[in-house]
Amino acid sequence: MDSAEVEFAIAQRLAVLAQLSFVAHRDVVATLPAIRSFGADSAIKWLATAEALFSHDREAGKAFIRGSKEAARAFRGVEPWCAHAQCFTAWRGSGSAVQAFMDALPAAAAVGPAVDSWARIGLDWCARHLDSGRAYFETPVGTLLGAGDVNDLRQLLAPAIELCSERGLALGYYLPGALRVRMLAGTASVGPWARQGGDIMKSGRNRGELFFALASEESRAALLEHLPGFQPLAHERLLQILLAVWFGQSFDLKQSDWMPGSGRPFIETDGRSLFLPAVLSSREEALVAVWHAAGHLAFGTFEQKAIKELFQAAGLMHPPLDPDQAISWRPLFLPYGEDQARFEVLFDLCEDLRVDALIHRCIPGYLQQLQTFSDGSVAANAVPYRRFVRHAWHGLADPGVRDQRLAPLWAPEARPIDAFLVARVLYASGEFPVLAANECSDAYPPAHGPNAARPIYPRGFRETGPARAANPDVGAEKRDGQSEASRRPPKETQGSDPDLEIPPEDTAGAGGRIGVGLPQPARLTGRRRTRTFLASGRAYPEWDYRERRFRARWAYVQERALDERDPGEAARLVAMHRQTLRRLKRAIEAQKPRRLAPRKRQLDGEDLDLAATVDFVALRRAGLAPRPEIYCQRLPRRRDLAVLLLADLSTSIMERLPDGARIVDRIRAALLLFAESLEEIGDPYAIAGFASKYRDQVSYYPIKEFDETLDARARAVIGGLSGRLATRMGAAIRHALARFDQASTSRRLLLLLSDGRPADYDDGGDPRYLEEDTRVAIKECTDRGVHPFCITLDPRGGDYLKRIFGDGHYLVIGRLSDLPAELPRIYLRLRAA
Amino acid sequence: MKNLLDRLRGVERDALKEPRADDAPYYEPQGNEIMLFEAAYRRRLPVMLKGPTGCGKTRFLEYMAHRLSRPLITVACHEDLTSSDLVGRFLLDGDATVWQDGPLTRAVKAGAICYLDEIVEARTDSTVVIHPLTDHRRCLPLEKRGLEIEAHEDFMLVISYNPGYQTVLKDLKPSTKQRFIAIVFDYPDEAIECKVVQTESGLGDSALVARIVAAGRKARALKDHGLQEAASTRALVYAASMVAAGVSPIDACRSAMVDPLTDDRELAEAMLEIARAHLSGS
Ligand SMILES: Nc1ncnc2c1ncn2[C@@H]1O[C@H](COP(=O)(O)OP(=O)(O)OP(=O)(O)O)[C@@H](O)[C@H]1O
Ligand SMILES: [Mg+2]
Repeated sequence: MDSAEVEFAIAQRLAVLAQLSFVAHRDVVATLPAIRSFGADSAIKWLATAEALFSHDREAGKAFIRGSKEAARAFRGVEPWCAHAQCFTAWRGSGSAVQAFMDALPAAAAVGPAVDSWARIGLDWCARHLDSGRAYFETPVGTLLGAGDVNDLRQLLAPAIELCSERGLALGYYLPGALRVRMLAGTASVGPWARQGGDIMKSGRNRGELFFALASEESRAALLEHLPGFQPLAHERLLQILLAVWFGQSFDLKQSDWMPGSGRPFIETDGRSLFLPAVLSSREEALVAVWHAAGHLAFGTFEQKAIKELFQAAGLMHPPLDPDQAISWRPLFLPYGEDQARFEVLFDLCEDLRVDALIHRCIPGYLQQLQTFSDGSVAANAVPYRRFVRHAWHGLADPGVRDQRLAPLWAPEARPIDAFLVARVLYASGEFPVLAANECSDAYPPAHGPNAARPIYPRGFRETGPARAANPDVGAEKRDGQSEASRRPPKETQGSDPDLEIPPEDTAGAGGRIGVGLPQPARLTGRRRTRTFLASGRAYPEWDYRERRFRARWAYVQERALDERDPGEAARLVAMHRQTLRRLKRAIEAQKPRRLAPRKRQLDGEDLDLAATVDFVALRRAGLAPRPEIYCQRLPRRRDLAVLLLADLSTSIMERLPDGARIVDRIRAALLLFAESLEEIGDPYAIAGFASKYRDQVSYYPIKEFDETLDARARAVIGGLSGRLATRMGAAIRHALARFDQASTSRRLLLLLSDGRPADYDDGGDPRYLEEDTRVAIKECTDRGVHPFCITLDPRGGDYLKRIFGDGHYLVIGRLSDLPAELPRIYLRLRAA
Repeated sequence: MKNLLDRLRGVERDALKEPRADDAPYYEPQGNEIMLFEAAYRRRLPVMLKGPTGCGKTRFLEYMAHRLSRPLITVACHEDLTSSDLVGRFLLDGDATVWQDGPLTRAVKAGAICYLDEIVEARTDSTVVIHPLTDHRRCLPLEKRGLEIEAHEDFMLVISYNPGYQTVLKDLKPSTKQRFIAIVFDYPDEAIECKVVQTESGLGDSALVARIVAAGRKARALKDHGLQEAASTRALVYAASMVAAGVSPIDACRSAMVDPLTDDRELAEAMLEIARAHLSGS
């Protein structure tokens, strides 16, 4: 084409456009010179595209023309975007999509050759669903590609294709969430997250859209599940075991609300529980961080007295309690005004060092492990703080390089107040730069963090930490720091037994509030009782350790039937544990001797008993007249073991554990599997439950007697088991003992299934009273030839179990979910021994 | 034939050990057990050694037998042990029959110490024969021969008994228990355990021995978390022996103290973590 021809062609296009629209013509004329600067061919091509788009859809055309100047400048020409834009003519109403495409072009130019793939992917989306295509182009290219390449982008979008075609989910709903998931957890995590979302989508569109927008709890949980790193709470049992080993106490572990993207994950505490972030960077660091946080609780950082001292030192009144009885350390830092953060961090670090020194004494290797964690990159202002802590750790291991100012922290009897005073000295030294708000978190070394991120519930003086399975309903009573007893009878109002209808006004003054306050001597005389004493049922003596004598006719046991039945639940549980049951049956089969164990030295039988025969002949020859017991009989041995399983049915079994399961669910399953296994084994067995409320109301609930068969009723009762009231173990044991009279076996086993120590409303808060009585009841068992054995779910039971049952006569089930399979297995082991 | 008969009689492990003047077995006292045992021996009272597995009961008795210059006859009890296995029986010998003394009878006659190891394993009807030996009568009735033999004046009966989970159903009858002087054993104090482990394993590095022992002792706390048997002194000796044989301390702990004791993954992980904490950097 020569120049005249070019001019003609351009003029012709312009004329067409002028006819189409005044605005289009005006805009094209304004933009044309910029396009022409890349050559006449480009101009003609561009004009053709503009015309095609405009005549297809006015808005599309306008958007194209308006965006062209910038696009051409960015691409130094009209390729390849003109060709891409042309494609929009395939779809009706593509105006806003073209607008988005044109807007994205200047930035897209920067990605180089990948731009073609980027555009094609978007156009494919337009073909699927125009609005999704628009959403695609509206997302900045840089965000779409992230740190990865086009393949990464394809992988990111792959789940969306199916979601779009099958569930009608527009890309606009998918992309923002998916991009965040990719950013936080990596491309590989997007697939599983999206799959979960697809399932949720089936159950409701709204729920699904919230999920993909990362706006729902379940979506965030799904994201956390797929985060890379170490998930501490997935290893809760390991943590609990080791915490118990290192600190000799148990701690309440919860998940914090930390989300990726919201800064460094720290372990927080409120003085009662440890709140762990969903993910920590590595296993080693996570363990050490948990030890450190537990160290604060174990070594008095949040002790009431210590906090009082701090406030006194700061010239403040007793720390104010908020409505929830918690306190904040804030007022301690207020005097530092603008410079608060600096002092707060220094105090935290000093207190951390004090605690680290103490942990170092009980966990060998703790300090070395701490020192192996690298600092990573931190804000320049935070560096002196990190250096300070490293030097202090070093000094802890090597007294030669100790900073003398820190000496008060290293004393074993150092208290938080010492850390506070040392922090003041450091603060005044001027060695530590001012920290901006966003630099504070960098100042903490690995596995450490702010100590008072949450309001604190001051800890009681001798507190040993909350119970593993704190009853949510009695939580209010535990706040007074007396939570040391692993279990207390429930409040009056709850778990009431349908069988125990006592008018509330009768029970109010009866010492039922033993969960609160200091232990009082047990009120055993009943003088101040206002409720009527019900001397019904069977009376048993009870051992009073303080007077070293039995109290005659003290506890009254009534037998009651359990009315709640749930055949469906029983069937469901058996179905759920089908696998376990199958495995158990195999184990039982294996325990049965392959060939029936022959009974030796019989007068009659299928085989000769060789040893007996030799004896017989020898005795005859020796001139004696031995009985001709020289045969073996292949009959099964007489069943010589009877077992009674006595289950503690007190309120505490209704607790819900973090995984959502209730203890009672596992107990139901365990009893069912136990019963099914015993049917298989063939040993005579009985099952019963017990609960109590005052000494005159101990309930014994027979579930299956020795001479009954395991029928639908018994199964349904187990399926409907629930917890109620307290645990007067001794009386229940004494009552169960009489049941063995029905069993004519030589060996008798009383299996006690429990989840805590004995306690009752009227034990006066003295855990020893019923503990001692139970110990004596156990002794009565042994004296009567019944072997007692306790299976407990109380991980802190070691001490009292040993005292009550004696070494080797109890077993702690570490993991509740193991109980159903373990209970029959333990019986098998006891039996085989 | 002799072998077959022996097998039939179920006496697989009765061993008579004559005292030897020279090498006393190595035993590290844990408390007043030597004094108690000697006193019981002076009065010829039967003794019950009570304690968890692998804490040194057997070794103690070997040591005492040597110290008192008495032969030691050990019977490892098991379920099929009959009273004839203890007392003796008639055997055919050609046309004649001969009476053969069982280990208990031999000990009674020879004035030896008879050690019934893990007595609860035997059925109670087999062990009633010891009753007359445990009170003032000090005699053993040989029913089949229709006679009763009086115990040699130096004879002593010792039983061992591990009150544990495995033997709940086999507890000794209270009436039997009361016939014995009980000496209670447990895993020794840390310092003593270190000495035992070092001497027995021959591992020279005493700092390392101390760490292995400390780790093992810490791991004993896991008993309350579902571990059925704690790591015994024997297990610690094994671990140290493995180290002495060139295995790395962590691997040695794993193979001697962790894996043999539990199949529970988390418990094993916790035990390993404890071992690591104690042994890292060694
Ligand atoms: N006090 C000690 N002195 C010397 N060695 C000891 C001592 N305690 C334990 N051992 C070591 O522990 C090992 C196990 O001890 P021993 O065989 O006596 O245990 P046990 O209590 O008889 O165990 P079991 O109940 O399993 O028979 C011994 O071989 C020895 O190496
Ligand atoms: Mg801290």
